[in-house]
Formats: sequence, structure tokens, C-alpha cells
Amino acid sequence: MVFPTLQFIGFFAVVLALNGLAWSHNALRKALLIAASYVFYAVWDWRFCGLMLFVSAVAWGAGLAVQRPALRKPAKGLAIAAMLGVLGFFKYFDFFMLSLQQMLQGTAFARDLTWMVVILPVGISFYTFQAISYVMDVDRGHIPPRRNPADVALYISFFPQLVAGPIVRAAHFLPQIDAPTRPDATARAAAVVLILSGLFKKMVVANYLSVLLVDPVFGFPDGQYWLSALAATLGYAVQIYCDFSGYSDIAIGVALLLGYHFHRNFNQPYRAESLRAFWQRWHISLSTWIRDYLYIPLGGNRGSVLRRNFTVILTMTLAGFWHGAGWNFILWGFFHGAGLAVERSLRRLHVRLPKLVAIVATLVFVAILWIPFRATSFTETLGMFAAFTRAEGYAAPEITATVWVLIAIGLAMNWLPLHWRSWAEMGLARLGPVLQAAILAILIWVMFATAQEGVAPFIYFQF
Amino acid sequence: MRPMTRFTLTCFAALVAAWLLSGERFLDAVFGMMDLGRVDDTIIAGVVVLEDWKAGLSLPDVFGQLRAAIHQGLGLR
Repeated sequence: MVFPTLQFIGFFAVVLALNGLAWSHNALRKALLIAASYVFYAVWDWRFCGLMLFVSAVAWGAGLAVQRPALRKPAKGLAIAAMLGVLGFFKYFDFFMLSLQQMLQGTAFARDLTWMVVILPVGISFYTFQAISYVMDVDRGHIPPRRNPADVALYISFFPQLVAGPIVRAAHFLPQIDAPTRPDATARAAAVVLILSGLFKKMVVANYLSVLLVDPVFGFPDGQYWLSALAATLGYAVQIYCDFSGYSDIAIGVALLLGYHFHRNFNQPYRAESLRAFWQRWHISLSTWIRDYLYIPLGGNRGSVLRRNFTVILTMTLAGFWHGAGWNFILWGFFHGAGLAVERSLRRLHVRLPKLVAIVATLVFVAILWIPFRATSFTETLGMFAAFTRAEGYAAPEITATVWVLIAIGLAMNWLPLHWRSWAEMGLARLGPVLQAAILAILIWVMFATAQEGVAPFIYFQF
Repeated sequence: MRPMTRFTLTCFAALVAAWLLSGERFLDAVFGMMDLGRVDDTIIAGVVVLEDWKAGLSLPDVFGQLRAAIHQGLGLR
């Protein structure tokens, strides 16, 4: 089920009403939200509900087992191996088999390998990461283990963040399960603003940019020229921001209406003055997850300069590989890691760029690296870079004024002062609940009327 | 009545209003649901009855008119 659809609106209206009715009955409310989350997930493919249940059961069992000194290490190791095994099999099996076949070509072992095609379950990366963080946090003593399996099941399956994040930490979410906050006027106002801004980013900016510009250009890079390649590169930078931060905004707003608070996942990332600052502003829940559970265990800031640079490059390359089983994602991660290492060295040498130059340089670097991220193959990536050198493109789409306006709106969202949003929230918080709901409903209606027929899935669903 | 209850009830009222003034889009959405066997058959049958009742009211497709106006005004395809 995708957020900007009538199906989701109907589903959520029912869940919101039942959640309100079950508010004072903790066990009933948990059961309701778990059931709703599994229904939400089953709409894609009910067969994978069992997989999510398995991951939840492993996390719950491991959480209890790591409390016993004798079982601590084996339980943690087995649980993380099981979760990474599930993730690795569903996400990377095809990639490894294909790579193996390509490696064997031209050798005495060359043969046509046959293997089953594995379907990638939606959101598997997100819920396995949450499960891993639960086991790790219990093991580190940050949170006590939950005896009630329903608590862990709800933490892992909670539908607003299930398929594309934000990755919520157990230490932040689990205490809320026992005592969610009934949404007051301020929380409802924040939720309304988040849901509306998320829908606008996704349904209007991201979807139109995708159809009018990005898809036609990336779909046929050999027929493009410098202007179409440039516009599509910038367009994709805006599209992925609006698509993904739009999803996060809706998820946070929906959770808020149910009584649960998530941290912000994007903080105007294209205003960043450095790559390091960019990763502190982009997909914050994933960046911090990678820092805490990958970068620091790999060595973090310990060791020599060379060692630290190696760690950051390795971490980002693995983060790239997490995004997708393909060389283009590995390249994307590697160059981000290399960029961070270079930036760190420049900082040590006290090299500082003027603020505006630093922002533009960061944006250009990030936008260029979105090319391999968006391209479906390494060949397509090279094709896009080649397009920048051509003066004419026989298959370039018309770069209309609408396209430039959409890009400008997307970039403006990174530059508008944050207190504008606070003003909107404060204004809405002064209104009664009936007016708040009416404004939400009317503007959703206008958004649906502005959008194209049919809504493309969110980009991050594939990860 | 609690404020959150009023908020939820208004959302439901808005959903009914949207259904009344949106032509057959809700019917299309119901047909686009996953196959749940008897469950979705029952939902579809219920919605069809309601859509027949709605058709008898001859309400305008305000959503369609708004959509056409926005798309024409903004030059969107």
C-alpha cells in the first residue's frame, strides 16, 4: 500500500478511529497496530509476512538471550548472522550468481548457471536494520530486553516506517509503546503540515519531474546532450530529495496522529557546506545507524589518518552496497567515502572555502554522484556522463518552463527558513480539531487533483 | 467529546464528502484492491450498492472539474 492513494487514506482512517477507541487498553492497542501493520504489508505480498515475523521472533529471542552471560556472544552472533543472512539472500543472491557467471566466462569453468529468481521483499533492509539495532542496543545495555514479544513485533512492523524508514531506534520507540502521547492541538498541527508537505513533494514535484524529465533522459542516455543531461541530473537530485523526504514527512505525520513521535529524517540537505554536513542532514536515521553499527565497530575515528580514511571509504562503500546489488551503487558509495576522506584531509590542512562556494561544490558533487545511483547499469552511467560532452541530442525531451519551476521549487524547499514551517504549525495549532481536519482533507483533495493519474512507487521502496 | 475524536470524525466526514463529489474514483480504487477472496467481494458489493445510490443523487464530479481546471491553469499534462 502506497501512502498517496485512496486505499491508504481509507485504511488509515479506520486505523486512526480504532486506535482512538483502543487508546486506554494497552494490549488491545498494540494488537490492533500489529494487525494493521501486517495488513499494510500483506497488500504487497502476504507471503513475506512470515519473514517479518521470523525476524521479529529472532530479535525478541536474542534480546532475552543476550542478558545471560553464557549465551551473550553466541546469541548475538547467531541473531545478527540470521538477520544478515535473510537480508543477504533476498537482496544479493541474484547479484552474486550473475557476477559469478560473468567471472566464469572465458574460463574452463564457464557454463550457464541456473538459479531461482528471488523476489526482493519490500522494506526488508529497513526492518532487518531495526531488528539488528534492537539486539545491539540490548546487548550494549542501552535498553532492557522486552519480555512481551508483541512489543518487539510492533517495533519492527509499525506500518508508518515499515517499508522505507525512517529507521527508528528501539530506545526511542519502545518506551512510547507503553505510553503513547495523545495528539494535542500542536501535535495535530505538526502532523497536518508534515503530511501535506510530504504529499506535495511526492505527488507534485517528484512525480512530475520523474515523468517530464528524469525518466526520459536516464532511459535513453545515448540520445541526450549537455543541457538535457544537466537538467536531468539536477532534476534527479530534486526528485530523490522530494520523493524520499516526502515519504519520511508523511510517515512521521501519520505516526504522530497515532500518538508516536519519530525524529526528523531530513534537514535541508542541499544546504550542506560539506559532505560530512550533507550526511548529517540526509536520511539522518540511516546515517546515524551506519555510524553507530558499522563505522564505529569498523574502527571509527581510531587509528592513523590512513586507517580512518580507509574505514570511512569502506563504510560508505558498504552503505552503497546496502542501497542495491549493483556496481553503480558500490561506485556511488565508494566515491562518497573517498570524498569524505579528502574533505577530512583538507580540514586537517585548514583549507576552507567561502560558504556559498562550499555549498555549491557539495551540491555539484552530490548531484554528479546521483548519476550512478539513478542509472540502472554501469554502461548507462557512462552514457550519461558522455551526454555532457554532446552539443545535440536526438532523443532529448523538451526542457519546459514547468520543469525548471519544479526544480526551483524543490531547491527552494532546501532554502526556505525553517521557522516558516513553525509559523504554519503555530497557526494551525490555534485552530480547533474540526478545522484542522477540514484543512487537511481539502488540501489532500487539491493535491490529488493536481497530481498525475496513478502514483509512482517511492524510490526507496526498492531498497 | 475529545478533540482527537472530533478530528477523526471530521476526517471521516471529509472522506464521505470526497466520495460523494469525486465521480467513480472510489469505485476504481476499490477495484484496485488486493484480492482478498470473500472479504473484498463483500466490500466491492457494498460499494457498488452505495455507488448506485450516489448515482441517483446526480451529484457533480467536483473533483474532476477541479482537476481539469488545475491542469489547464498550470499547463500540466
